[in-house]
Amino acid sequence: MAENIESNPFVDVSVFLFFEDISDKQGVEGFTNYMVGQAESLAKSVPEEEYKTWDDFTNAVVNGESVLSSFESIGQISKFGFVTNVCPFSKAIREYIKRIGNFNPVHMEATDHYNHTIQPSAAHSACMMHQTYRKEVAKRIKIGGKPLQYAQIAAKAYTGKIALPPESWKKVLLEKAGISETQGFMEMRENSCLYLLYVEE
Amino acid sequence: MMDIAIYSLVDDMVSKAGTEGVVEYWLRVGESYAERMGKEAYVGWPAFNVAMKDGRTSLTVEGDVNVQTDLAITDKDGDVIGYVYALKVCPMAPSMGRYISRIGPIPDSDTDVADSYNNRIRDSAVSNYCITHQKFREVAANNITVAKQALECLQLANKGMTGEVKMVPDNLSRINVDERHIKSILRNASCVFALIVKGKSAGEEIID
Repeated sequence: MAENIESNPFVDVSVFLFFEDISDKQGVEGFTNYMVGQAESLAKSVPEEEYKTWDDFTNAVVNGESVLSSFESIGQISKFGFVTNVCPFSKAIREYIKRIGNFNPVHMEATDHYNHTIQPSAAHSACMMHQTYRKEVAKRIKIGGKPLQYAQIAAKAYTGKIALPPESWKKVLLEKAGISETQGFMEMRENSCLYLLYVEE
Repeated sequence: MMDIAIYSLVDDMVSKAGTEGVVEYWLRVGESYAERMGKEAYVGWPAFNVAMKDGRTSLTVEGDVNVQTDLAITDKDGDVIGYVYALKVCPMAPSMGRYISRIGPIPDSDTDVADSYNNRIRDSAVSNYCITHQKFREVAANNITVAKQALECLQLANKGMTGEVKMVPDNLSRINVDERHIKSILRNASCVFALIVKGKSAGEEIID
């Protein structure tokens, strides 16, 4: 819902600092656990959704009517392949850098911790929250009676670094999305996030 | 999306660290945010007030502020020691609106944390976010000098989403401003505060 995603950057930056304060007290593991835990809680608070057909669902997502697109504008690039053009955290990240300076290294440490202990898909600490939110929200959406499935393919950080899954996963995920690796990289030039949304046949 | 996380984060934190723990976290965040914004110096009140209007100070990163130049605060000698300022829109207002429209009612933990702060520290929070916001202003003000004198921020009044108003009578009497005047400012603002030279008051005495 692009027209409805504005927030006050003062608040956004303070939440980053909140997580940094948590890491001071509970280390990188505490930071990661809180980031993931609160995204799960947030997703469990959203209303459930059901759609009759895959097309009904994709129309709702692309038009910003689904809970999946509450905080981001989502585009569809193939039947199961989806992209987010602008990372919903990019403004908060820019404002943090503008106001405070370099990102506290603990964000990268927490990202590495997540990539090693949960799944190798985060490009920034905010990805932990975002991807967990998407995964949990997907469980609340049913299409033709079947739960929606979500899998992250690529995420791009504000530094330009792209987080990708291991080769063996990447091949399977791109095949499921119906795009080649080159097409995937082309999408990542224009977008911040590439992922799969699908239902089990 | 980061802002929306506040509600679920606070909900989680309350279950793990209790409301008092969350208050402490928020106070530290406000302090560290302000400290990391750095120091500022202005040659006099006109220069500082122009910077406030232009949104160039660390105190105006949160949004547009009305400078109440008709409410200059003077000491016993008639010298200007500060002014009253009104923040037009609470920084949490857009997030609250989106949370309510997209997710549902604001969780009770928001009020629980605010109540914990109001009962133990100062009765001035209408939501849990006021804790860090007010602390930020207090510390940021200490890092600003006007005519080589450090400032002090006095929280005067704020208004919650449902219209609930919190006033801080001690601070109002320190600058000798009538409560009714502040209430009239609040009709078109969400938060009212004073910035004065540190340690000064409108009366005879100098506060230590």
